[in-house]
Amino acid sequence: MVSAIFITLLFITGIYCIMASYNLVRVLIGVEILIKAVTLMIIVVGSACGRLALAQSLVITLIVVEVVVITVAVGVVLGIHTHNNSLDVRKVRRLKG
Amino acid sequence: MYALLILVPLASSIILNLLPKGVNKRIAFGLSLALSFLQALFIFFPACPVWKTGARTLESVFRFNFFIDNLTSVMLLCISIVVFVTLLASRKFIESGEKRGSFINVILVALIGMNGAVLTRDIFSLYVFLEITAVSSFILIALDKDILAFEGAFKYIVFSAVASVLMLAAISLLLLLTGSTDFNVIHALFKMQPAHNALVILAVGLFLCGLFIKAGLMPFHGWLPDAYSSAPAHISVLLAGVVTKVAGIYALIRIIVSVLGFTAAVQSVLLLTAALSVILGAIASLTQSDFRRMLAYSSISQVGYIVLGLGSGTALGIAGAIFHIFNHATFKSLLFVNCASVEKQTGIRDMRSLSGLAQRMPVTGVTSVIGSLSCAGIPPLAGFWSKLMIIIALWMEGYRVYAFIAILGSLLTLAYFLYLQRSIFFGKLNPEFKDIKEAGFALTFPAILLTAIIILVGLAAPLLLEKQIFTLNSIWGG
Repeated sequence: MVSAIFITLLFITGIYCIMASYNLVRVLIGVEILIKAVTLMIIVVGSACGRLALAQSLVITLIVVEVVVITVAVGVVLGIHTHNNSLDVRKVRRLKG
Repeated sequence: MYALLILVPLASSIILNLLPKGVNKRIAFGLSLALSFLQALFIFFPACPVWKTGARTLESVFRFNFFIDNLTSVMLLCISIVVFVTLLASRKFIESGEKRGSFINVILVALIGMNGAVLTRDIFSLYVFLEITAVSSFILIALDKDILAFEGAFKYIVFSAVASVLMLAAISLLLLLTGSTDFNVIHALFKMQPAHNALVILAVGLFLCGLFIKAGLMPFHGWLPDAYSSAPAHISVLLAGVVTKVAGIYALIRIIVSVLGFTAAVQSVLLLTAALSVILGAIASLTQSDFRRMLAYSSISQVGYIVLGLGSGTALGIAGAIFHIFNHATFKSLLFVNCASVEKQTGIRDMRSLSGLAQRMPVTGVTSVIGSLSCAGIPPLAGFWSKLMIIIALWMEGYRVYAFIAILGSLLTLAYFLYLQRSIFFGKLNPEFKDIKEAGFALTFPAILLTAIIILVGLAAPLLLEKQIFTLNSIWGG
Protein backbone atom coordinates (compact mmCIF):
# COMPACT_ATOMS: atom_id res chain seq x y z
CA MET A 1 0.00 0.00 0.00
CA VAL A 2 2.81 2.38 0.97
CA SER A 3 4.56 1.62 -2.30
CA ALA A 4 1.37 2.28 -4.29
CA ILE A 5 1.06 5.72 -2.69
CA PHE A 6 4.73 6.42 -3.32
CA ILE A 7 4.42 5.39 -6.99
CA THR A 8 1.38 7.66 -7.44
CA LEU A 9 3.28 10.54 -5.84
CA LEU A 10 6.21 10.00 -8.19
CA PHE A 11 3.81 9.97 -11.17
CA ILE A 12 2.20 13.23 -10.10
CA THR A 13 5.62 14.83 -9.49
CA GLY A 14 6.82 13.77 -12.94
CA ILE A 15 3.72 15.05 -14.75
CA TYR A 16 3.85 18.31 -12.80
CA CYS A 17 7.55 18.70 -13.60
CA ILE A 18 6.91 18.23 -17.35
CA MET A 19 3.96 20.61 -17.42
CA ALA A 20 5.10 23.39 -15.10
CA SER A 21 8.78 23.88 -15.89
CA TYR A 22 10.11 26.29 -18.51
CA ASN A 23 13.50 24.63 -18.84
CA LEU A 24 14.15 21.91 -21.44
CA VAL A 25 16.44 19.95 -19.11
CA ARG A 26 13.83 20.08 -16.36
CA VAL A 27 11.27 18.64 -18.79
CA LEU A 28 13.65 15.72 -19.36
CA ILE A 29 14.08 15.34 -15.59
CA GLY A 30 10.29 15.10 -15.39
CA VAL A 31 10.36 12.30 -17.97
CA GLU A 32 13.06 10.57 -15.91
CA ILE A 33 10.93 10.80 -12.76
CA LEU A 34 8.01 9.23 -14.65
CA ILE A 35 10.20 6.36 -15.85
CA LYS A 36 11.51 5.86 -12.31
CA ALA A 37 7.92 5.60 -11.08
CA VAL A 38 7.21 2.89 -13.68
CA THR A 39 10.43 1.04 -12.80
CA LEU A 40 9.43 0.99 -9.17
CA MET A 41 5.95 -0.16 -10.17
CA ILE A 42 7.31 -3.14 -12.12
CA ILE A 43 9.44 -4.22 -9.14
CA VAL A 44 6.51 -3.92 -6.73
CA VAL A 45 4.24 -5.83 -9.12
CA GLY A 46 6.88 -8.54 -9.54
CA SER A 47 7.14 -9.09 -5.81
CA ALA A 48 3.35 -8.96 -5.40
CA CYS A 49 2.64 -11.67 -7.97
CA GLY A 50 5.68 -13.80 -7.20
CA ARG A 51 7.51 -13.24 -10.51
CA LEU A 52 10.45 -11.31 -9.13
CA ALA A 53 12.97 -12.86 -11.55
CA LEU A 54 10.90 -11.81 -14.58
CA ALA A 55 10.40 -8.34 -13.09
CA GLN A 56 14.14 -7.93 -12.53
CA SER A 57 15.00 -8.80 -16.11
CA LEU A 58 12.32 -6.39 -17.35
CA VAL A 59 13.69 -3.61 -15.12
CA ILE A 60 17.26 -4.08 -16.32
CA THR A 61 16.12 -3.92 -19.95
CA LEU A 62 14.02 -0.87 -19.13
CA ILE A 63 17.00 0.93 -17.59
CA VAL A 64 19.08 0.34 -20.72
CA VAL A 65 16.30 1.57 -23.03
CA GLU A 66 15.73 4.62 -20.83
CA VAL A 67 19.40 5.61 -20.93
CA VAL A 68 19.37 5.47 -24.75
CA VAL A 69 16.22 7.61 -25.01
CA ILE A 70 17.54 10.22 -22.56
CA THR A 71 20.92 10.36 -24.32
CA VAL A 72 19.27 11.16 -27.66
CA ALA A 73 16.96 13.66 -25.94
CA VAL A 74 19.88 15.47 -24.31
CA GLY A 75 21.60 15.58 -27.70
CA VAL A 76 18.53 17.30 -29.14
CA VAL A 77 18.43 19.74 -26.19
CA LEU A 78 22.10 20.51 -26.81
CA GLY A 79 21.27 21.22 -30.46
CA ILE A 80 18.48 23.59 -29.44
CA HIS A 81 20.87 25.32 -27.04
CA THR A 82 23.50 25.95 -29.72
CA HIS A 83 20.86 27.57 -31.94
CA ASN A 84 18.89 29.52 -29.32
CA ASN A 85 21.56 30.16 -26.68
CA SER A 86 18.96 29.39 -24.06
CA LEU A 87 17.06 26.44 -22.66
CA ASP A 88 13.77 28.28 -22.33
CA VAL A 89 10.77 26.29 -23.53
CA ARG A 90 9.01 29.54 -24.46
CA LYS A 91 11.61 30.16 -27.17
CA VAL A 92 10.93 26.77 -28.79
CA ARG A 93 7.84 27.99 -30.63
CA ARG A 94 8.69 28.23 -34.27
CA LEU A 95 6.40 25.36 -35.32
CA LYS A 96 2.77 26.33 -35.25
CA GLY A 97 -0.56 25.68 -36.96
CA MET B 1 13.19 -18.47 -39.86
CA TYR B 2 11.67 -15.06 -39.15
CA ALA B 3 14.60 -14.22 -36.89
CA LEU B 4 16.49 -13.55 -40.13
CA LEU B 5 14.50 -10.34 -40.56
CA ILE B 6 16.16 -8.99 -37.40
CA LEU B 7 19.55 -10.69 -37.50
CA VAL B 8 20.45 -9.84 -41.11
CA PRO B 9 19.99 -6.04 -40.76
CA LEU B 10 21.77 -6.19 -37.39
CA ALA B 11 24.71 -8.13 -38.82
CA SER B 12 24.96 -5.87 -41.86
CA SER B 13 24.96 -2.70 -39.76
CA ILE B 14 27.78 -4.15 -37.62
CA ILE B 15 29.76 -5.23 -40.70
CA LEU B 16 29.30 -1.84 -42.37
CA ASN B 17 30.87 -0.16 -39.35
CA LEU B 18 33.80 -2.55 -39.24
CA LEU B 19 34.72 -2.06 -42.90
CA PRO B 20 37.23 0.62 -43.91
CA LYS B 21 35.56 3.93 -44.78
CA GLY B 22 36.24 3.84 -48.53
CA VAL B 23 34.59 0.44 -48.96
CA ASN B 24 31.77 1.37 -46.62
CA LYS B 25 30.89 4.46 -48.67
CA ARG B 26 30.55 2.44 -51.85
CA ILE B 27 28.54 -0.54 -50.62
CA ALA B 28 26.40 0.83 -47.77
CA PHE B 29 23.68 2.25 -49.98
CA GLY B 30 23.43 -0.77 -52.28
CA LEU B 31 23.47 -3.19 -49.35
CA SER B 32 20.62 -1.51 -47.49
CA LEU B 33 18.59 -1.21 -50.71
CA ALA B 34 19.13 -4.92 -51.37
CA LEU B 35 18.06 -5.75 -47.80
CA SER B 36 14.72 -4.00 -48.13
CA PHE B 37 14.17 -5.64 -51.53
CA LEU B 38 15.01 -9.08 -50.12
CA GLN B 39 12.53 -8.51 -47.31
CA ALA B 40 9.74 -8.03 -49.87
CA LEU B 41 10.84 -11.22 -51.66
CA PHE B 42 10.88 -13.02 -48.32
CA ILE B 43 7.23 -12.13 -47.74
CA PHE B 44 6.12 -13.33 -51.16
CA PHE B 45 8.20 -16.52 -51.24
CA PRO B 46 8.52 -17.72 -47.65
CA ALA B 47 9.17 -21.29 -48.77
CA CYS B 48 12.30 -20.46 -50.80
CA PRO B 49 15.14 -22.85 -49.81
CA VAL B 50 17.69 -20.00 -49.58
CA TRP B 51 16.18 -18.60 -46.38
CA LYS B 52 15.38 -22.00 -44.94
CA THR B 53 18.93 -23.32 -44.97
CA GLY B 54 20.28 -20.02 -43.65
CA ALA B 55 17.70 -19.98 -40.91
CA ARG B 56 18.34 -23.49 -39.65
CA THR B 57 21.95 -22.79 -38.70
CA LEU B 58 21.04 -19.47 -37.09
CA GLU B 59 18.12 -20.82 -35.13
CA SER B 60 20.32 -23.32 -33.38
CA VAL B 61 22.16 -20.33 -31.87
CA PHE B 62 19.49 -17.65 -31.40
CA ARG B 63 16.08 -18.48 -30.05
CA PHE B 64 13.25 -16.03 -30.64
CA ASN B 65 9.59 -16.34 -29.88
CA PHE B 66 8.47 -15.05 -33.28
CA PHE B 67 5.27 -15.78 -35.09
CA ILE B 68 3.88 -14.61 -38.40
CA ASP B 69 0.30 -14.09 -39.52
CA ASN B 70 -1.45 -12.05 -42.21
CA LEU B 71 -1.26 -8.76 -40.34
CA THR B 72 2.46 -9.26 -39.74
CA SER B 73 3.16 -10.07 -43.40
CA VAL B 74 1.26 -6.99 -44.59
CA MET B 75 3.24 -4.84 -42.17
CA LEU B 76 6.55 -6.42 -43.21
CA LEU B 77 5.69 -5.76 -46.85
CA CYS B 78 4.81 -2.10 -46.10
CA ILE B 79 8.07 -1.69 -44.17
CA SER B 80 10.15 -3.08 -47.02
CA ILE B 81 8.43 -0.92 -49.66
CA VAL B 82 8.69 2.31 -47.69
CA VAL B 83 12.27 1.74 -46.57
CA PHE B 84 13.22 1.02 -50.21
CA VAL B 85 11.56 4.25 -51.36
CA THR B 86 13.10 6.30 -48.54
CA LEU B 87 16.58 5.02 -49.36
CA LEU B 88 16.14 5.90 -53.04
CA ALA B 89 14.81 9.37 -52.22
CA SER B 90 17.65 10.01 -49.77
CA ARG B 91 20.10 9.78 -52.68
CA LYS B 92 18.92 13.20 -53.82
CA PHE B 93 19.08 14.86 -50.40
CA ILE B 94 22.26 13.55 -48.78
CA GLU B 95 25.27 14.56 -50.81
CA SER B 96 28.27 13.73 -48.63
CA GLY B 97 29.35 10.12 -48.18
CA GLU B 98 30.03 10.58 -44.46
CA LYS B 99 26.47 11.68 -43.78
CA ARG B 100 25.01 8.95 -45.93
CA GLY B 101 26.88 6.36 -43.86
CA SER B 102 25.36 7.54 -40.61
CA PHE B 103 21.94 7.87 -42.24
CA ILE B 104 22.07 4.26 -43.44
CA ASN B 105 23.18 3.02 -40.03
CA VAL B 106 20.24 4.67 -38.33
CA ILE B 107 17.78 3.47 -40.97
CA LEU B 108 18.99 -0.12 -40.50
CA VAL B 109 18.36 0.24 -36.76
CA ALA B 110 14.88 1.56 -37.54
CA LEU B 111 14.33 -1.45 -39.80
CA ILE B 112 15.34 -3.82 -36.98
CA GLY B 113 13.00 -2.04 -34.58
CA MET B 114 10.01 -2.14 -36.93
CA ASN B 115 10.54 -5.76 -38.00
CA GLY B 116 10.91 -6.81 -34.39
CA ALA B 117 7.82 -4.91 -33.30
CA VAL B 118 5.61 -6.65 -35.85
CA LEU B 119 7.10 -10.11 -35.27
CA THR B 120 7.20 -10.34 -31.50
CA ARG B 121 4.60 -12.06 -29.33
CA ASP B 122 5.39 -10.51 -25.98
CA ILE B 123 4.17 -7.14 -24.70
CA PHE B 124 7.47 -6.16 -23.10
CA SER B 125 9.47 -7.04 -26.24
CA LEU B 126 6.92 -5.03 -28.20
CA TYR B 127 7.71 -2.04 -25.97
CA VAL B 128 11.47 -2.51 -26.44
CA PHE B 129 11.21 -2.74 -30.24
CA LEU B 130 8.86 0.27 -30.39
CA GLU B 131 11.40 2.23 -28.39
CA ILE B 132 14.19 1.21 -30.80
CA THR B 133 12.03 2.47 -33.69
CA ALA B 134 11.20 5.68 -31.85
CA VAL B 135 14.82 6.46 -30.89
CA SER B 136 16.05 5.91 -34.44
CA SER B 137 13.32 8.16 -35.80
CA PHE B 138 14.26 10.92 -33.31
CA ILE B 139 17.79 10.75 -34.68
CA LEU B 140 16.60 10.68 -38.29
CA ILE B 141 14.46 13.81 -37.74
CA ALA B 142 17.31 15.74 -36.14
CA LEU B 143 19.99 14.48 -38.54
CA ASP B 144 20.19 17.76 -40.48
CA LYS B 145 20.88 19.77 -37.28
CA ASP B 146 18.32 22.36 -38.32
CA ILE B 147 16.66 24.27 -35.47
CA LEU B 148 13.16 23.43 -36.68
CA ALA B 149 14.08 19.74 -36.84
CA PHE B 150 15.40 19.92 -33.27
CA GLU B 151 12.12 21.45 -32.12
CA GLY B 152 10.04 18.81 -33.89
CA ALA B 153 12.25 16.04 -32.54
CA PHE B 154 12.03 17.37 -28.98
CA LYS B 155 8.24 17.46 -29.07
CA TYR B 156 8.19 13.93 -30.48
CA ILE B 157 10.60 12.73 -27.75
CA VAL B 158 8.53 14.14 -24.89
CA PHE B 159 5.21 12.84 -26.25
CA SER B 160 6.68 9.46 -27.09
CA ALA B 161 8.32 9.12 -23.67
CA VAL B 162 5.04 9.87 -21.92
CA ALA B 163 3.29 7.34 -24.19
CA SER B 164 5.93 4.73 -23.32
CA VAL B 165 5.47 5.38 -19.62
CA LEU B 166 1.70 4.91 -19.93
CA MET B 167 2.23 1.66 -21.87
CA LEU B 168 4.74 0.40 -19.30
CA ALA B 169 2.34 1.14 -16.47
CA ALA B 170 -0.31 -0.87 -18.34
CA ILE B 171 2.19 -3.70 -18.94
CA SER B 172 3.02 -3.88 -15.24
CA LEU B 173 -0.70 -3.94 -14.36
CA LEU B 174 -1.20 -6.80 -16.83
CA LEU B 175 1.76 -8.55 -15.22
CA LEU B 176 0.08 -8.16 -11.86
CA LEU B 177 -3.23 -9.52 -13.16
CA THR B 178 -1.91 -12.45 -15.20
CA GLY B 179 1.67 -13.05 -14.08
CA SER B 180 2.96 -13.08 -17.64
CA THR B 181 3.86 -10.81 -20.55
CA ASP B 182 3.14 -13.33 -23.31
CA PHE B 183 0.30 -12.43 -25.72
CA ASN B 184 -1.26 -15.90 -25.69
CA VAL B 185 -1.16 -16.39 -21.93
CA ILE B 186 -2.77 -13.01 -21.24
CA HIS B 187 -5.37 -13.53 -23.97
CA ALA B 188 -6.30 -16.98 -22.69
CA LEU B 189 -6.66 -15.71 -19.13
CA PHE B 190 -8.77 -12.72 -20.16
CA LYS B 191 -10.95 -14.97 -22.29
CA MET B 192 -11.54 -17.47 -19.49
CA GLN B 193 -12.56 -14.93 -16.86
CA PRO B 194 -13.45 -11.55 -18.36
CA ALA B 195 -12.57 -9.53 -15.28
CA HIS B 196 -14.29 -6.18 -14.95
CA ASN B 197 -12.56 -4.79 -11.93
CA ALA B 198 -10.97 -1.35 -11.72
CA LEU B 199 -7.43 -2.61 -12.39
CA VAL B 200 -8.37 -4.14 -15.77
CA ILE B 201 -10.13 -0.94 -16.84
CA LEU B 202 -7.14 1.12 -15.70
CA ALA B 203 -4.71 -1.12 -17.61
CA VAL B 204 -6.76 -1.02 -20.83
CA GLY B 205 -7.23 2.75 -20.54
CA LEU B 206 -3.52 3.40 -20.00
CA PHE B 207 -2.58 1.14 -22.91
CA LEU B 208 -5.07 2.84 -25.23
CA CYS B 209 -3.87 6.33 -24.23
CA GLY B 210 -0.24 5.37 -24.86
CA LEU B 211 -1.00 3.88 -28.26
CA PHE B 212 -3.24 6.81 -29.28
CA ILE B 213 -0.34 9.18 -28.56
CA LYS B 214 2.05 7.03 -30.61
CA ALA B 215 -0.45 6.79 -33.48
CA GLY B 216 -1.17 10.54 -33.36
CA LEU B 217 -4.94 10.25 -33.11
CA MET B 218 -6.76 13.52 -32.76
CA PRO B 219 -6.83 14.59 -29.12
CA PHE B 220 -3.24 13.32 -28.77
CA HIS B 221 -1.83 14.54 -32.09
CA GLY B 222 0.21 17.56 -30.92
CA TRP B 223 3.60 16.23 -31.96
CA LEU B 224 2.71 14.70 -35.33
CA PRO B 225 2.41 17.69 -37.71
CA ASP B 226 5.51 19.29 -36.18
CA ALA B 227 7.61 16.15 -36.45
CA TYR B 228 6.51 15.42 -40.04
CA SER B 229 6.95 18.95 -41.30
CA SER B 230 10.26 19.65 -39.59
CA ALA B 231 11.99 16.39 -40.59
CA PRO B 232 14.10 16.29 -43.77
CA ALA B 233 11.86 15.61 -46.79
CA HIS B 234 13.00 12.02 -47.36
CA ILE B 235 12.61 11.16 -43.65
CA SER B 236 9.00 12.30 -43.59
CA VAL B 237 8.32 9.60 -46.21
CA LEU B 238 9.52 6.98 -43.73
CA LEU B 239 7.77 8.57 -40.74
CA ALA B 240 4.39 8.92 -42.43
CA GLY B 241 4.61 5.67 -44.35
CA VAL B 242 5.51 3.18 -41.66
CA VAL B 243 7.02 4.46 -38.41
CA THR B 244 3.82 5.82 -36.87
CA LYS B 245 1.80 3.00 -38.45
CA VAL B 246 3.96 0.34 -36.80
CA ALA B 247 4.39 2.19 -33.50
CA GLY B 248 0.76 3.21 -33.13
CA ILE B 249 -1.68 1.43 -35.39
CA TYR B 250 -0.10 -2.01 -35.67
CA ALA B 251 0.45 -2.13 -31.90
CA LEU B 252 -3.12 -0.94 -31.32
CA ILE B 253 -4.65 -3.64 -33.54
CA ARG B 254 -2.40 -6.33 -32.10
CA ILE B 255 -3.02 -5.37 -28.48
CA ILE B 256 -6.79 -5.04 -28.92
CA VAL B 257 -7.35 -8.14 -31.05
CA SER B 258 -4.72 -10.57 -29.78
CA VAL B 259 -4.27 -9.53 -26.16
CA LEU B 260 -7.03 -7.57 -24.48
CA GLY B 261 -10.02 -8.59 -26.58
CA PHE B 262 -12.99 -6.44 -27.56
CA THR B 263 -15.40 -5.02 -25.03
CA ALA B 264 -18.23 -2.58 -25.65
CA ALA B 265 -16.39 0.19 -23.79
CA VAL B 266 -13.16 -0.26 -25.81
CA GLN B 267 -15.19 -0.26 -29.01
CA SER B 268 -16.97 3.00 -28.25
CA VAL B 269 -13.71 4.71 -27.24
CA LEU B 270 -12.09 3.57 -30.50
CA LEU B 271 -15.01 4.71 -32.66
CA LEU B 272 -15.26 8.09 -30.96
CA THR B 273 -11.53 8.88 -31.20
CA ALA B 274 -11.42 7.66 -34.78
CA ALA B 275 -14.41 9.77 -35.84
CA LEU B 276 -12.85 12.83 -34.18
CA SER B 277 -9.58 12.20 -36.03
CA VAL B 278 -11.28 11.67 -39.40
CA ILE B 279 -13.25 14.92 -39.26
CA LEU B 280 -10.94 17.25 -37.34
CA GLY B 281 -7.84 15.99 -39.19
CA ALA B 282 -9.50 16.72 -42.54
CA ILE B 283 -10.73 20.16 -41.42
CA ALA B 284 -7.30 21.04 -40.01
CA SER B 285 -5.60 20.08 -43.26
CA LEU B 286 -8.00 22.31 -45.22
CA THR B 287 -6.61 25.30 -43.34
CA GLN B 288 -2.91 24.62 -43.96
CA SER B 289 -0.71 26.49 -46.39
CA ASP B 290 2.46 24.39 -45.95
CA PHE B 291 1.94 21.26 -48.05
CA ARG B 292 3.83 18.96 -45.70
CA ARG B 293 1.70 20.07 -42.76
CA MET B 294 -1.39 19.45 -44.89
CA LEU B 295 -0.23 15.89 -45.58
CA ALA B 296 0.56 15.40 -41.88
CA TYR B 297 -3.00 16.34 -40.89
CA SER B 298 -4.26 14.16 -43.72
CA SER B 299 -2.31 11.29 -42.15
CA ILE B 300 -4.18 11.85 -38.88
CA SER B 301 -7.45 11.69 -40.79
CA GLN B 302 -6.51 8.47 -42.62
CA VAL B 303 -5.33 6.83 -39.40
CA GLY B 304 -8.80 7.64 -38.12
CA TYR B 305 -10.23 5.48 -40.92
CA ILE B 306 -8.03 2.55 -39.95
CA VAL B 307 -9.19 2.81 -36.33
CA LEU B 308 -12.83 3.12 -37.49
CA GLY B 309 -12.40 -0.20 -39.29
CA LEU B 310 -10.90 -1.74 -36.15
CA GLY B 311 -13.63 -0.23 -34.00
CA SER B 312 -16.40 -1.78 -36.06
CA GLY B 313 -15.36 -5.03 -34.37
CA THR B 314 -16.19 -7.30 -37.29
CA ALA B 315 -14.01 -9.49 -39.46
CA LEU B 316 -14.77 -7.35 -42.52
CA GLY B 317 -13.85 -4.15 -40.66
CA ILE B 318 -10.52 -5.56 -39.49
CA ALA B 319 -9.70 -6.77 -43.02
CA GLY B 320 -10.55 -3.29 -44.33
CA ALA B 321 -8.37 -1.67 -41.66
CA ILE B 322 -5.36 -3.85 -42.52
CA PHE B 323 -5.87 -3.25 -46.25
CA HIS B 324 -6.08 0.49 -45.54
CA ILE B 325 -2.76 0.35 -43.66
CA PHE B 326 -1.14 -1.03 -46.81
CA ASN B 327 -2.87 1.54 -49.02
CA HIS B 328 -1.96 4.36 -46.67
CA ALA B 329 1.68 3.28 -46.71
CA THR B 330 1.72 3.43 -50.52
CA PHE B 331 -0.24 6.60 -51.26
CA LYS B 332 1.08 8.66 -48.38
CA SER B 333 4.68 7.73 -49.19
CA LEU B 334 3.95 8.63 -52.82
CA LEU B 335 2.59 12.06 -51.86
CA PHE B 336 5.53 12.73 -49.53
CA VAL B 337 7.96 11.72 -52.30
CA ASN B 338 6.20 14.19 -54.62
CA CYS B 339 6.46 16.88 -51.95
CA ALA B 340 10.15 16.07 -51.62
CA SER B 341 10.62 16.61 -55.39
CA VAL B 342 8.74 19.91 -55.37
CA GLU B 343 10.68 21.07 -52.33
CA LYS B 344 14.02 19.99 -53.81
CA GLN B 345 13.40 21.70 -57.16
CA THR B 346 11.77 24.94 -55.99
CA GLY B 347 12.88 25.29 -52.37
CA ILE B 348 9.37 26.47 -51.45
CA ARG B 349 6.89 24.78 -49.14
CA ASP B 350 4.14 27.35 -49.12
CA MET B 351 1.38 26.31 -51.52
CA ARG B 352 0.24 29.89 -52.06
CA SER B 353 3.43 30.85 -53.86
CA LEU B 354 3.45 27.84 -56.20
CA SER B 355 1.42 27.23 -59.33
CA GLY B 356 1.37 25.38 -62.63
CA LEU B 357 4.29 23.08 -61.83
CA ALA B 358 2.70 20.18 -63.75
CA GLN B 359 3.97 21.72 -66.98
CA ARG B 360 7.57 21.60 -65.81
CA MET B 361 7.33 18.42 -63.65
CA PRO B 362 4.94 16.10 -65.51
CA VAL B 363 5.84 12.86 -63.69
CA THR B 364 5.45 14.44 -60.25
CA GLY B 365 2.19 16.09 -61.30
CA VAL B 366 0.55 12.95 -62.70
CA THR B 367 1.66 10.62 -59.88
CA SER B 368 0.51 13.05 -57.20
CA VAL B 369 -2.95 13.27 -58.81
CA ILE B 370 -3.21 9.46 -58.66
CA GLY B 371 -1.97 9.39 -55.06
CA SER B 372 -4.49 12.03 -53.99
CA LEU B 373 -7.38 10.31 -55.74
CA SER B 374 -6.48 6.99 -54.11
CA CYS B 375 -6.34 8.73 -50.72
CA ALA B 376 -9.76 10.33 -51.32
CA GLY B 377 -11.20 6.92 -52.20
CA ILE B 378 -12.00 7.34 -55.90
CA PRO B 379 -12.66 4.04 -57.73
CA PRO B 380 -10.92 2.06 -59.18
CA LEU B 381 -7.80 3.04 -57.18
CA ALA B 382 -6.68 0.98 -54.21
CA GLY B 383 -7.85 3.43 -51.53
CA PHE B 384 -11.47 3.07 -52.67
CA TRP B 385 -11.70 -0.63 -51.83
CA SER B 386 -10.37 -0.37 -48.30
CA LYS B 387 -12.59 2.62 -47.49
CA LEU B 388 -15.59 0.80 -48.98
CA MET B 389 -14.91 -2.24 -46.79
CA ILE B 390 -14.62 -0.07 -43.67
CA ILE B 391 -17.85 1.82 -44.44
CA ILE B 392 -19.79 -1.37 -45.22
CA ALA B 393 -18.54 -2.95 -42.00
CA LEU B 394 -19.69 0.08 -39.99
CA TRP B 395 -23.09 0.12 -41.72
CA MET B 396 -23.68 -3.59 -41.21
CA GLU B 397 -22.98 -3.28 -37.49
CA GLY B 398 -25.52 -0.48 -37.22
CA TYR B 399 -23.03 2.33 -36.65
CA ARG B 400 -24.73 4.45 -39.31
CA VAL B 401 -23.60 7.80 -37.85
CA TYR B 402 -19.98 6.67 -38.03
CA ALA B 403 -20.49 5.43 -41.59
CA PHE B 404 -21.80 8.88 -42.54
CA ILE B 405 -18.81 10.48 -40.81
CA ALA B 406 -16.50 8.26 -42.85
CA ILE B 407 -18.19 9.31 -46.11
CA LEU B 408 -18.11 12.99 -45.09
CA GLY B 409 -14.41 12.64 -44.23
CA SER B 410 -13.80 11.20 -47.68
CA LEU B 411 -15.42 14.26 -49.30
CA LEU B 412 -13.28 16.58 -47.16
CA THR B 413 -10.21 14.56 -48.20
CA LEU B 414 -11.09 15.15 -51.84
CA ALA B 415 -11.56 18.86 -51.11
CA TYR B 416 -8.13 19.43 -49.55
CA PHE B 417 -6.34 17.35 -52.14
CA LEU B 418 -8.01 19.25 -54.98
CA TYR B 419 -6.86 22.45 -53.29
CA LEU B 420 -3.31 21.04 -53.06
CA GLN B 421 -3.29 19.94 -56.71
CA ARG B 422 -4.77 23.18 -57.94
CA SER B 423 -2.35 25.39 -56.08
CA ILE B 424 0.84 23.42 -56.79
CA PHE B 425 0.41 21.66 -60.12
CA PHE B 426 -2.50 23.14 -62.05
CA GLY B 427 -3.06 26.61 -63.40
CA LYS B 428 -0.71 29.04 -65.08
CA LEU B 429 3.00 28.55 -64.62
CA ASN B 430 4.53 31.27 -62.49
CA PRO B 431 7.29 32.89 -64.65
CA GLU B 432 9.88 32.53 -61.86
CA PHE B 433 9.55 28.72 -62.14
CA LYS B 434 10.07 28.53 -65.91
CA ASP B 435 13.53 26.96 -65.50
CA ILE B 436 12.39 24.28 -63.07
CA LYS B 437 13.20 20.75 -64.24
CA GLU B 438 11.78 17.38 -63.23
CA ALA B 439 13.53 16.00 -60.13
CA GLY B 440 15.98 13.27 -61.09
CA PHE B 441 15.57 9.52 -61.35
CA ALA B 442 16.07 9.07 -57.58
CA LEU B 443 12.74 10.79 -56.93
CA THR B 444 10.73 9.95 -60.05
CA PHE B 445 11.44 6.20 -59.94
CA PRO B 446 9.95 5.70 -56.44
CA ALA B 447 6.96 7.85 -57.47
CA ILE B 448 6.33 5.72 -60.57
CA LEU B 449 6.83 2.48 -58.60
CA LEU B 450 4.32 3.50 -55.91
CA THR B 451 1.82 4.72 -58.53
CA ALA B 452 2.08 1.36 -60.29
CA ILE B 453 1.39 -0.44 -56.99
CA ILE B 454 -1.66 1.77 -56.30
CA ILE B 455 -3.15 1.25 -59.78
CA LEU B 456 -2.40 -2.48 -59.94
CA VAL B 457 -3.74 -3.21 -56.47
CA GLY B 458 -6.81 -1.09 -57.25
CA LEU B 459 -7.54 -2.87 -60.53
CA ALA B 460 -6.77 -6.32 -59.15
CA ALA B 461 -8.69 -5.79 -55.90
CA PRO B 462 -11.94 -7.44 -57.14
CA LEU B 463 -9.93 -10.53 -58.06
CA LEU B 464 -7.95 -10.49 -54.83
CA LEU B 465 -10.96 -9.87 -52.58
CA GLU B 466 -11.94 -13.50 -51.98
CA LYS B 467 -8.56 -15.10 -51.50
CA GLN B 468 -6.17 -12.40 -50.29
CA ILE B 469 -8.05 -9.47 -48.82
CA PHE B 470 -10.90 -11.11 -46.92
CA THR B 471 -8.45 -13.58 -45.41
CA LEU B 472 -6.50 -10.67 -43.90
CA ASN B 473 -8.88 -10.95 -40.97
CA SER B 474 -7.63 -14.39 -39.96
CA ILE B 475 -6.25 -12.81 -36.77
CA TRP B 476 -9.86 -12.24 -35.78
CA GLY B 477 -11.59 -14.87 -33.67
CA GLY B 478 -8.40 -16.89 -33.16
